[in-house]
Amino acid sequence: MMLFETTHLTYRYDRLTAIEDLSISIAEGSRVALVGANGSGKSTLLRILDGLYFGQQGTVRFRGEELSEDRFGDDEFAFSFRRQVGLVFQNPEVQLFSPTVFDEVAFGPLQLRWPKSEVRKRVGETLERFGIAHLKDRVPHRLSGGEQKRVALASVLVLNPAVLLLDEPTAALDPRSQSQVIDLLVEWGGGAKSVITATHHLGDLADIADRCLVLDGGRVVAEGPPAEILRDAELLERTNLVHAHRHRHRSGELHSHPHVHSGEAEPGD
Amino acid sequence: MHIPDGYLSPKTCAALYVGAAPFWYVALRRVRKALHTRLVPLISLFAAFSFVIMMFNLPLPGGTTGHAVGIGLAAVVLGPWAAMLSVSIAIVIQALFFGDGGITAIGANCFNMAIVGALVAYAVYRILAGRAAIGSARRVMAAGLAGYAAINVSALLAAIEFGIQPLLYRDAAGAPLYCPYPLSIAIPAMMLGHLTIAGFAELTVSAGVVAFLQRSDPSLLKATAGGSVEIGEPAAGRNLRPLWVGLGALLAFTPLGILATGSAWGEWMARDFSNPALRREIAASSFHYAAPLRAPEGLARLSQVWTAPFARYAPPYVRSAAFGYLLSAMFGAGLILLVCLMVGRLFDRKEPAT
Amino acid sequence: MKLSARHGRGAFVPRTIEALYQAMERALDAEHSAASSGLLQRLDARVKVSGLFALILATALATRLWVIAAIFALAALLAALSRISIRLLASRVWIPALAFTGAIAVPALFLTPGDGLYRVPGLNWTVTAQGLTTAGYLLLRVETAATLALLLVVTTPWMQVLKALRVFRIPVVFVAILGMTSRYILLLLETAHEMFESRKSRSVGALHGAERRQMAVASAGVLLSRTFQLSGDVYLAMQARGFRGEVYLLDDFAMKRLDWLALAGFAALAAAAVWAGR
Repeated sequence: MMLFETTHLTYRYDRLTAIEDLSISIAEGSRVALVGANGSGKSTLLRILDGLYFGQQGTVRFRGEELSEDRFGDDEFAFSFRRQVGLVFQNPEVQLFSPTVFDEVAFGPLQLRWPKSEVRKRVGETLERFGIAHLKDRVPHRLSGGEQKRVALASVLVLNPAVLLLDEPTAALDPRSQSQVIDLLVEWGGGAKSVITATHHLGDLADIADRCLVLDGGRVVAEGPPAEILRDAELLERTNLVHAHRHRHRSGELHSHPHVHSGEAEPGD
Repeated sequence: MHIPDGYLSPKTCAALYVGAAPFWYVALRRVRKALHTRLVPLISLFAAFSFVIMMFNLPLPGGTTGHAVGIGLAAVVLGPWAAMLSVSIAIVIQALFFGDGGITAIGANCFNMAIVGALVAYAVYRILAGRAAIGSARRVMAAGLAGYAAINVSALLAAIEFGIQPLLYRDAAGAPLYCPYPLSIAIPAMMLGHLTIAGFAELTVSAGVVAFLQRSDPSLLKATAGGSVEIGEPAAGRNLRPLWVGLGALLAFTPLGILATGSAWGEWMARDFSNPALRREIAASSFHYAAPLRAPEGLARLSQVWTAPFARYAPPYVRSAAFGYLLSAMFGAGLILLVCLMVGRLFDRKEPAT
Repeated sequence: MKLSARHGRGAFVPRTIEALYQAMERALDAEHSAASSGLLQRLDARVKVSGLFALILATALATRLWVIAAIFALAALLAALSRISIRLLASRVWIPALAFTGAIAVPALFLTPGDGLYRVPGLNWTVTAQGLTTAGYLLLRVETAATLALLLVVTTPWMQVLKALRVFRIPVVFVAILGMTSRYILLLLETAHEMFESRKSRSVGALHGAERRQMAVASAGVLLSRTFQLSGDVYLAMQARGFRGEVYLLDDFAMKRLDWLALAGFAALAAAAVWAGR
């Protein structure tokens, strides 16, 4: 049984078609990257996989169970799903709405009605693990970007979900915070856990994924391991994942080639 | 028009809580079914918006405060029940955090602004908008007028609630225990501010934001469009000026309409016949037949039918100077609006299009 | 939060937004309310909600001025015992209420029929004894009730107030929306604040009347749109972590001896006030 399976999935928002006739399957225990420029549909797909949006056409199955709005009306199913799948949003502010950091991390377990003693213990452990125990009484939306990201991650990972969905995990972070986040993810993953990351940071790909799905205009246009995708310069340029701009060499020559700014992976390697 | 604590007697407050309860109940039941959908954050959003709008208020001596509410907008987007809930929540937060509007008066404030306001706004909107396309100018106008109507009905209710307090609740020495202003003061005081400034503010907010939504997110307006109505393309560079002109004219001429009916009421009184001056006029216009000294019996009896209920139910303010001020204010507001529009048009023409 | 329209037109709206934002932030700030260890902060939220509400009700029911004044004095005493600064009370409640209710109540001094006390020289207006009493009722009631409400929200974390409302059987939908709205108000004010800041740095020269109007309406629309986007995402994020509407707190309410004493105290005082003021 597949972890996720979509069949002819189409999602429209007003007059815009965000996902078009998408049929993919993701196996248990895999590390997948949804790669695409802004507007390619990868964020939308993540939300559909997390049962927050529901497509107008087609189906989405999680471990064989269909995800539909009606299904989520059932408390038991909803709780079971939320326990197993966690989504970290791109903008941490969206995820920080509790009075203190401790409350924030405790929110999920409380909603899922864990026993109070259990909640306290697990929250304490998670705060330690993410190095934010010293922030536990602080107001979340007044923290720095990197700290907020760690709180957001902690608030989802405290539930120890089997599946982690991440929307642009390194967006708007300074380089040090970025590498910290990547380290955290690498450490957390492995074994039976599945990770699906939406990103356009090509430099992270090799670390966080074994398999890439390239999205463009709501469709999958390519698929394969990171190394293979990164070699395909034409694809990357066509889907707006790299750009070419001119620079002047010392000799005075004006030069231009497609390239990526961050990370060591270069197209053509 | 927030009513603070102490302006309404406990009995009045309790009565209005009781009046509000069934509406709250129905609204909550309906929303509960949609708890997991987009409706809930929308309700909260409009509550937040309404909250901020209501904070911009000015005191109206003889009444309470005048301000826009945002009920027109909420009713157009959310429908009457969710809108009721939305504005009620804004009122509760204001009462708790800012002492704006009393705790005991929450029922009254919600009844006036949220509940009756939502129903009036929705009804007016649906009637005026008809089956027009969602992107049409007609809907913008309908939304604006819906808000205007709603806020004025709310203000009128509040004014009536005030006005009856000094009649009913006084202490041993005769001092009013709660609101001291009778209907003859409360109604003009409240209506003056709301028919003009607050009403315009509400109209602008409703119309303006609905126009914006027509372009940015028309699906939000579908819920209250009713039946099979297509979205339609908002006309590029659509000119809303005719709407404003129409509105200005409406305001300028309405007082005349009220006056006209007023005079029909006021002057068909049997006792006019005993007024010598009037008798001369009647004679002059009746080929010099002398008018009878007393009203003919039949007329007297007939006029009793007209005047007795009038005397009992029509507020005394109809004949007071305050009402006259009120009418002039409406007339003046309409006039000012028309003048502004004309001046604006004049200047627009002078500047070359870029 | 009342405001005066007397400042320069351009600064009026941003200034108010700023003031609102800060007041709201402070109101919802857990750090702030949990900080001091005054009397009210130590009480169970349920006791505070019911007790303070009972006193507000007593204020409404009282028909004697001195009873209302006594409740006001009690409220001030509670504030002092809870280490709430006079400055906070004055700026949030006392002065605004005085200004606004004052403006509305002053005409009552002259318009209320009764025994004349004092004639204003120059004008033909007489202050009546009844007018004075009525103005007294109005002002005192508003000040007292608003002070009591403020005491509740300043000494109790907002989440606990919401939970207490649930305990008193206020429907879950209502409480859930109440909680979300307070977050959205902050979001809305923050976004508005940012928009004003960025607009200030971007303005190049004055705009014509029609353009300025268009911009104002467009800004309101953009503000709504942006906040809508954010708030929709906030709600999704809540759902993604299992939110179904109910309020859950880590620390259950538990009545201690002090709470029972306080409850009894509130009940007795409220009852006495109602009896004395009838």
